[in-house]
Amino acid sequence: MAGSFLGFGALLASLGIDLRAGLASNVLIWALPGQVVFMDMWARGADVLVIALAVSVTAVRLLPMVVLVLVTARLPGAPRWPEFLLAHFTAVTMWIMANQQIESIDMHRRLPWLLGLGLALMAGMLVFTCLGFVLADRLPPVLAAALVLFTPAFFLLSMVASARWRFDYLAIGLGAIIGPLATAWLPDFDLLLAGLVGGSAAFLLARPRRRGAA
Amino acid sequence: MTGALTMLGALLGAGFAVTYVWRFLGVLAVKRIEPEGDLLLWVRAVATALVAALVMRITFDSAGVLAETAVLSRATALAMALAAYYLFRRVELGVAAAVISLAAAEILLRPLM
Repeated sequence: MAGSFLGFGALLASLGIDLRAGLASNVLIWALPGQVVFMDMWARGADVLVIALAVSVTAVRLLPMVVLVLVTARLPGAPRWPEFLLAHFTAVTMWIMANQQIESIDMHRRLPWLLGLGLALMAGMLVFTCLGFVLADRLPPVLAAALVLFTPAFFLLSMVASARWRFDYLAIGLGAIIGPLATAWLPDFDLLLAGLVGGSAAFLLARPRRRGAA
Repeated sequence: MTGALTMLGALLGAGFAVTYVWRFLGVLAVKRIEPEGDLLLWVRAVATALVAALVMRITFDSAGVLAETAVLSRATALAMALAAYYLFRRVELGVAAAVISLAAAEILLRPLM
């Protein structure tokens, strides 16, 4: 995860975006795919509504993630506001770390523990983003380019690693093929189009069959 | 430039809102929703395809330092990333393979291309 934010810092430098905006996106969006979509589209001068829509599409996956983290930590009858705070810190790395360690933590301490984890991760990633931004400027161009490549390589492998159904693989392939075509055809909506067409086609073609379903 | 930065700041606020809304719904839905229902699986497919398109775009169609490298070097790097991932089943090793392959291809092979 540290490496991916190092790459994000380098990507910001490469896109010519103000470091402060990148750091603000860490705190405000706190989900790397959304942040990268945001910065990439902003650098290309995309329409703000299209940016907002594309960022939101990448964020829907946070809904089940929040549910899965909360069911391990919430206490019935406790006030709910800390849950809304925790939701903001919930993203993929925290979810994975919580999965690995939450069982060993006393039920009453889980929510504060998760909040601390989220806050520590966020603080750490602010540092790594700065570091990547500065490194991209100081390193020889070949190494700076390698640092920028970090982000797409990390996304690609994370998707492959978390693929559980056939439609996941199909969605990766179709998105990768439709993306460049859509850029040529409808550059303003290319990411949304690739997502909507590629994702829907993948889901319909390889719809998961459920146990117990006839 | 200050105007652009203000605009960017305002848009980041919107970025927060459109992201947090799903987290908010997650908290509300915690007692009701099935995390692996059809609707959320479809959304997962759409987001996956969108991010795959993003991967292609950052890698092959961006300005900045990556554009200075050969397209073949970048394609090789992503292929090596997948190969290393399937070999070792570790995302970190795959990413390391991509980074090293890109640098190696550029330093060693660029003079030959």
